[in-house]
Amino acid sequence: MTTRKMATVPHRPSELLDALRGLGVQLAVSVPDSWLGEVLIRIDQEPTMSLIRATHEEEALAIACGARLGGLRTVLMIQNVGLLTIGAGMVSLAQRYQFPLFILASYRGTQGDAIFYHIPKGRVTEPVLQGLGVRYAVADPQRPIGEQVEQAATYAEESSNPFVLLLAREDIQW
Amino acid sequence: MVSDSQTTRADYYRVLADCLSEETLVVTALGNASYLWAEIREAPKNFYLEDAMGLALPMALGLAVAQPNRKVVVVEGDGGLLMHMGALVTVGAVAPQNLIVLLIQNGVHAASGGQALTNAGLDFAVLGRAMGLQHAENIASADSFRPALVAALDTSGPSLLVLATEPDLTAVVPPVVFDPVRTKQRFTDAIGAPRYVPTFFGGGKLVAP
Repeated sequence: MTTRKMATVPHRPSELLDALRGLGVQLAVSVPDSWLGEVLIRIDQEPTMSLIRATHEEEALAIACGARLGGLRTVLMIQNVGLLTIGAGMVSLAQRYQFPLFILASYRGTQGDAIFYHIPKGRVTEPVLQGLGVRYAVADPQRPIGEQVEQAATYAEESSNPFVLLLAREDIQW
Repeated sequence: MVSDSQTTRADYYRVLADCLSEETLVVTALGNASYLWAEIREAPKNFYLEDAMGLALPMALGLAVAQPNRKVVVVEGDGGLLMHMGALVTVGAVAPQNLIVLLIQNGVHAASGGQALTNAGLDFAVLGRAMGLQHAENIASADSFRPALVAALDTSGPSLLVLATEPDLTAVVPPVVFDPVRTKQRFTDAIGAPRYVPTFFGGGKLVAP
């Protein structure tokens, strides 16, 4: 009788959280959605991280910029709808003052999203980012998510500018 | 509340300059909030915003969280606050003890020429208390501002002082050029904030200078 080794499927949200710990992220600022909800609870329970729940994504952007000004390593965690509402602060604050704003955004309205009303947001997310001149990447499901998170954070720091990593449900929903 | 106060922004700013220590961090909103403050008390620990209307308060909140051992004073306008009223809710929820919010209430969008506000008659002190800022007070003169500011600097916040002000529609020419990146760099140098140190293959860290 032969024994077959079961392939271990990595739990990508755990890897994402490990990557944030490894980067030394001290503060997450967020406006949540259903995919982000649980990982934010876990961040809130982390001894080395704090969580601020903002009322609006542009407000969250400004909180993140202020925290970074004061020397905290910060991540902004929002749904992609926030990338549509965040534009003025993105250009007038984050880009004009060259803040290395590291953004993790759930990418709703893609083909894998069962909730149809997100489609209008998914359809325009990348063109809006391109129009704003914000660099971004769509998370590659074939690669470990942790290294993609690290690369996104590093890109933001090295460029002194915002960088967005767009995440699938499997990357972020616990 | 907004009133027929004849007190000017400069009257309040002179008291503010008089009462602050050199260690206090000051974030100012766009327009004369920044321009006049630069004229009265230019300092490396000032962070001047231009444009980015409504974002001075949330930015100061983030700064206060990052620098809990320093007082952070933010000067926002009533028009700016109306654009992001939610930020005051977040301040109340996070409740940073070192944050003092000075709200210039002149009843107009002064920085853009004096256009009417959606509602010029709001009682922001009542709103502030409802949002969790226990120390919230309406003030109509420089004389009453001084003891309120001293008390706010001496006690745990967050505090909200609403300063009824005559609109100032003529832009002050600041004595320094507001280069945004220089403003940021100078500020982080002045407070000794940790900065990013890269490594060859990624994985850089924030390191204290």
